[in-house]
Amino acid sequence: MFCSPKAPKKGMNLLPIVRIEDIIKIYEGKVTHRALDRLSFEVTDGEFLAVMGPSGSGKTTLLNLISGIDKPTSGRILVAGTDPSELKPDEAARFRRQELGFIFQDFNLLRMLTVEENIVLPLTLDQVPVKEMDARMRAAAKRLGLSDILHKRPDEISGGQEQRTAIARALIHRPSLVLADEPTGNLDSHAAREVLDLMTAINRENGTTLVMVTHDPIAASYCDRVLFIKDGAYYNEIHRDDRRRTFFQRILNMLSLLGGNVDDLSSVRLP
Amino acid sequence: MTFRQFAYRNVVRNRRVYAAFFLASVFSVMVFFLYSMLMFHPGIGERFITGITVIGMTSADIILYVFTLFFLFYSMRAFMQARADEFALLLQIGMERRQLGRLLFFEMLLLGAASIGSGIIAGFAFSKYFFMIVKEVLDLPELPLYLSWQPFALTAGAFLSLFLLIGVMSSWIVRIRDIHDFRKGIGAAADPFDYSATKAAAGLFLLIASYAAAPLAGRVNVLYLAVLLPPAATLGTYYFFSHTVLWVLDLLRKRKSIYWRHARLVSFAETAVKIKDNANMFFIVAIVSTVAFLSVGTLASLASYTAQYRALNPLGLVYLSQPGNPDEQTHIASLERELKQRGLSYEEVPLTVVREHSSFSGQPLNVLRESEVNRLARVLGREGVRLRPGEAAFLPYSPDAASRLEGAEIDTVLEQSGVKVAVRGTMNDLLFPAYALGTNSIVLSETDFIKAASAQADRLYTFYAFDVPNWEETVGIGLGLSARMSQAALHNGEEALPFFFENPGSDYAVIRSTFHLLLLTGLLVAAVFLLAAGSFIYFKLYTMLDRDRRQAAVLRRLGFTDREFVKIVNRQLVPQFFLPWGLAMLHSTFAFLSLQAIWKEITDLSIVKEMALVLIAFTVIQLLYFYLIRWRYLAHVKGSV
Repeated sequence: MFCSPKAPKKGMNLLPIVRIEDIIKIYEGKVTHRALDRLSFEVTDGEFLAVMGPSGSGKTTLLNLISGIDKPTSGRILVAGTDPSELKPDEAARFRRQELGFIFQDFNLLRMLTVEENIVLPLTLDQVPVKEMDARMRAAAKRLGLSDILHKRPDEISGGQEQRTAIARALIHRPSLVLADEPTGNLDSHAAREVLDLMTAINRENGTTLVMVTHDPIAASYCDRVLFIKDGAYYNEIHRDDRRRTFFQRILNMLSLLGGNVDDLSSVRLP
Repeated sequence: MTFRQFAYRNVVRNRRVYAAFFLASVFSVMVFFLYSMLMFHPGIGERFITGITVIGMTSADIILYVFTLFFLFYSMRAFMQARADEFALLLQIGMERRQLGRLLFFEMLLLGAASIGSGIIAGFAFSKYFFMIVKEVLDLPELPLYLSWQPFALTAGAFLSLFLLIGVMSSWIVRIRDIHDFRKGIGAAADPFDYSATKAAAGLFLLIASYAAAPLAGRVNVLYLAVLLPPAATLGTYYFFSHTVLWVLDLLRKRKSIYWRHARLVSFAETAVKIKDNANMFFIVAIVSTVAFLSVGTLASLASYTAQYRALNPLGLVYLSQPGNPDEQTHIASLERELKQRGLSYEEVPLTVVREHSSFSGQPLNVLRESEVNRLARVLGREGVRLRPGEAAFLPYSPDAASRLEGAEIDTVLEQSGVKVAVRGTMNDLLFPAYALGTNSIVLSETDFIKAASAQADRLYTFYAFDVPNWEETVGIGLGLSARMSQAALHNGEEALPFFFENPGSDYAVIRSTFHLLLLTGLLVAAVFLLAAGSFIYFKLYTMLDRDRRQAAVLRRLGFTDREFVKIVNRQLVPQFFLPWGLAMLHSTFAFLSLQAIWKEITDLSIVKEMALVLIAFTVIQLLYFYLIRWRYLAHVKGSV
């Protein structure tokens, strides 16, 4: 196991790892735009949360605020006991590379680095001994089925393999929280399922907290809880039940209620 | 919106991308125009040293033209790569290839027209200053500004043809090449560490071998070296950028304890990508910079020749009268009169010279008298000589000759008079320029000289040495004599004249201004080269900006601090700027070393100081340019993440 074993899922302590309180984010410009409007929610340690909402509902803004890339206009954010918006730029950078992991829609691997180099990248910044980096990288690669392609470059592997590499990169430094922005958006259904299964397994087995922003109700149905936002404000949330099929149906129903133009919904609404 | 308007807007809205390209073109046009202004100057036939000036300006113009052609062609290709996405979109919405070609042609023409217009305006605005500088350099009384259609027509015509050519080429390329080839071209260079170890080693070997061979240049092997070294160094440079650098980086990469540290992972790999992608450009920049350094360095070393001219020409005026010269007294009187008219103080030392033959070498030999030579030495403030009867000393014609003849012991007989002399060593200081008395002269003691002189009393030469403290102001003195000298040189040889006259001050003025003019020309051309080289780099950076920007955003999310990011940017910019340039420095240093070896044989001059000065000046410019472009690049990459 390459991630520090945290408390197992069942005895999960319900401490919030992320706490969002009344945040408002306004973009000033030619047209003033209110991206987030008094949004509040919490993410407990070990949870796998999906955030859903129509295009332009503020999902990506939310991730930027949690990761300290952007600052809220008002309100308070606490991530693993720190308010990222109060950190100085360098501290925020250090905070990101120690506490957070990122998974992106277009993988965002560095094209000129090999798979193994991409995976160890976050560790190289923090003076981890080479031996340990190597060991952790190998464990992660084994877990994610990347052992055979460690010396290939992103251009030489498939999209699914790229995303698994990105997941390994997001986990290698044992972050408190992994943020995923449409991780399956660029994958075919087979690779998407593979990636979602892996994310679920990591969440279950290692107790890694995951927050995933997505359009895709199938992806959302893998989570413990789905939070819906609309026009930057809290809309509703639903919890997972025993059967994924019914959970999926409830997500679809909620999306219908939510309206808006979630483009990829039209194809799934009618079975 | 018409098609032409579309082309116009494309250029205007892409102005940031076009800026570097535009600036370098404008500068090139401007310098070209300035040279043309001088070439067509109405006063050129009268006062200038016509030949060299016109040849210098013309060749500078040709070099500029050819170089600008390459620069534009290369920039155009890089630019098309950068806009591949845009082209693909235009094709997708139904633009024909032919139309796309026409669009590019229009754009190039527009850019050309703008560059030519701005360049000529800037050139004309600066021509007053340029003429002032040239006036100073050439020591002309005046160099008035003039208005004539010729320089305008030449510049506009030359560059219009150039831009038309590039426009036609670009529209042709976009028609035949697959757009997707361009798209793949940027930054996606397959494996950055794809190199051939053999070629990498060959590159290193060629460079080291050339460097090792360069200082060995001498008079004998200079021809072989001149033929062998430049191609070897050029090939070595090519392999160096396309293979050796990557090889070194790959060796580093395999050592995880070095490579997996801090931001090195990213910066080394990024450097490899940039070098792999731009190897050809770095090669061109390195070679062009070498040529620029060398030409300016050579010219600077020629200019230093004038600085040491005085050392080789200690006399103000020189007049040598042959036996039976009827005008001797008139000439000397007129020279004295001219000196007095100018208010120049002078001292005149006549020396009697006997032409002899040495039994030792069989060569002709000039024989001078101890008392007269000592008088001249005293006037010039140099050390005299003390000889016992039967003794003689060499008169050195150059500092190098002086040290070579030091301690020489030659016993010889003067064939005409039968006088036996033992030549012992040399006078320490230079009293005569080499051309005045030839390279073989000795001083005899009083008694021996009288013997030698009486043997051919009717065949005595008189050498009039004028010491003029303000020797640079003698320009124009003895103009009539100089004219007769050059007349004779043209027609029946100088031997036919009964006298020899030399005005080193006048010669100095001519040599000095010629070299300075060439130096000025070389400097301006080198400045164009440097600016263009910098523009290449900026341009290439710009074509990869989108990719770099995306990458910067990812790095930021992964937790790279600003400092680490700047470090990465530094690490990839520094090699781009200073690797080609550093190599060019090394190349020219070693080339100068061999030049120094050859030069020493020819003129006894040292050019180390000039070389150092030129290289330092270029370093400073390069540093400034680096900081300027880093500043712009950082602003762009960090800007809109």
